[in-house]
Amino acid sequence: MNFALSDEQQAILDGLEGLLQQPVEGATDPLSPPYSEALEQRLADAGYLSIAREDGFGTLDAGLIVERIARAPQVVEAAATALIAPALGLPAELRPLALVSDSWQKPARFLPQAQVLLVDQGDRALALAVDPERVVPGDTLFAYPYGRLQGSAQPTVLAEIDPQVLRRRWRMALAVEAAGCMAAALALVLEHVRTRQAFGRPLGAFQAIQHRLAMAAEPVESCKWLALRACWSDNELDASLAATFAQSRSNALTYDLHQFSGAMGLTLEYPLHRWTYRLRALVGELGGASQQARAAAEAAWPETCA
Amino acid sequence: MEFGWTAEEQAHRERVRATLERLLPADWESLSVHGPGSDLQTDYSRHFCAALQDEGLLVPHWPAEHGGENAPVWQQFILGEEMWAAGEPRGPQYMNVSWIGPVLMRYGTADQQARYLPPIRQGQAIWCQGFSEPSAGSDLAALRTRAVPVEGGYRVSGAKVWTSYAGHADHCFLLARVPLDEGGASGKAGIVILLADMAADGIQVKQIPALIGEGDIHEVFFDNVFVASENRLGAEGQAWEIITYALQHERVGVARYEFSRRVLDRAVAKLQADGRWQDAVIRARAGQALMLCEAARLLVYQIVDGKARGLPPSALTSVARWAVVLADNGVSEFLTEFLPEGLLGADPVQQAHHQRAIAAGIASGAAEIQLNLTARRWLELPGEGGRA
Repeated sequence: MNFALSDEQQAILDGLEGLLQQPVEGATDPLSPPYSEALEQRLADAGYLSIAREDGFGTLDAGLIVERIARAPQVVEAAATALIAPALGLPAELRPLALVSDSWQKPARFLPQAQVLLVDQGDRALALAVDPERVVPGDTLFAYPYGRLQGSAQPTVLAEIDPQVLRRRWRMALAVEAAGCMAAALALVLEHVRTRQAFGRPLGAFQAIQHRLAMAAEPVESCKWLALRACWSDNELDASLAATFAQSRSNALTYDLHQFSGAMGLTLEYPLHRWTYRLRALVGELGGASQQARAAAEAAWPETCA
Repeated sequence: MEFGWTAEEQAHRERVRATLERLLPADWESLSVHGPGSDLQTDYSRHFCAALQDEGLLVPHWPAEHGGENAPVWQQFILGEEMWAAGEPRGPQYMNVSWIGPVLMRYGTADQQARYLPPIRQGQAIWCQGFSEPSAGSDLAALRTRAVPVEGGYRVSGAKVWTSYAGHADHCFLLARVPLDEGGASGKAGIVILLADMAADGIQVKQIPALIGEGDIHEVFFDNVFVASENRLGAEGQAWEIITYALQHERVGVARYEFSRRVLDRAVAKLQADGRWQDAVIRARAGQALMLCEAARLLVYQIVDGKARGLPPSALTSVARWAVVLADNGVSEFLTEFLPEGLLGADPVQQAHHQRAIAAGIASGAAEIQLNLTARRWLELPGEGGRA
């Protein structure tokens, strides 16, 4: 065990930090659509989204990068490109990727930007080519762009992919992204309660609020470390545990963070929703927390006694 | 960044497991369920710790000049995980090797070290900690037990409560206050630490029957008990610094989540054997309980990693303690709902786990204190008066 970043990891994250600090078109407009194609391109050009494919680097490095990108106020599809596609043998240039369970006809996160739609049908999984002409953008509160494919003809199959690998990496990617969203949302609300005064003192000086934020610190840290361990081990159990955590602990966290932001947290101008409404979207993927918890239990304790 | 064990660490864990397998008696499970403070387990700890010392596994983390081997932090932590998971056969003595010994090494006089350390490393000393009082629990600085300076030492009067292991203890790591009208300072600066002999005249110990098991908590009454000056640890006024150091050692010392994890493993094996693993709700709830154990593990590992790398103590310790409380209680709730018969005599180990879990957020200071510390030191929120 050693949780220090290596010199290389530190250098990569420092470089990423610099890139994320650069101004991005549309980022200052609170009401603009959250997806930033400009940022996505910069990240791809700098090699951050394909790091797991590089010699000497791997999934853990990609996880560290995705967690940091998820803390940015702009939304880009990084998790599937950096963490899922490399394990499925999909070429790096086929990005962004959208993900959906059961049927390609359901609404999918990132479909309006995606070149590829990954469909988990249970016993099989497909990588489908996305024809932009067929994408109908969705109207949603979730802070991701959604869309669905219209028409009844199945899109071109680019590849049959391993459903187990898809689900394992999806769980990992979801947990890493959730960890970044949780951390950014908490940081925003901490800043608010340190400065916002009520009854003559900062909101954050009230013990009732302090305790709930202190309780919120635990899932933020736990989710990050469970997610990074899943990236490190790339096994079913760790990925399922991390996804279970992300999905089962997000709701209480997002409730509290909105609560302490008051009515301001209900506006689009205040950026909290950019992270909490990503978390709320992630909670419903892959069948939800109970599904991941069962997967974790089955991985931890394969039935041998019955 | 590395989440795996080195070959050396893995070999060490296997060595500890093999040693436990060899040393523990066949009836250990029935012995262990009485709790570390019970008559049986305290007696057994003197045999077990002596044998552990013969194996070089009682104090390997201590410095060589005090009889240890300067073993790495992670090795000692792995040993602690395995011991706790096995029901802590070191009994009350885990406390000696984890923090009382290290505190004596750091703050004790040469005479104190010569007197108290050898019995600890021979596995023969039982200590209790005289911290909490009827009016001072988590608010430790409010303690009122009096230590009146007299010729050659102090006369101690007062009462301690919730004191673990006091019924068998040879010594008490005792906190008392030099009264203001006897020349003491106010607040934390007025506290002294006395290494009291529990056989001294004027000490009376009364066991408190409790949900958490036999012999675990006591009241200890001090009636004009003489403690010599040479048994004061550190200078007057230095006690709070020493206590803080001691609590830092204590707080990451117990791998509670490991016991929870092993009890959960046992529970699932039983549910599978009973044909109940087909129930998807049970599997989901087991997965959730496991998730809490593994989250607690990873946060505690952050603290151990910081210690291993020589970093200053982190406020993340308080976050980790909260995670441990959630894990212990999450597993306990799962067991109580799906295997209630375990608390009706069918599984003494489950009952022992339950008894540890209900104290998880109370022992060593209320978990709410950890939330206060998390708010102030980890999240950097302003104090209650509004000060940043």
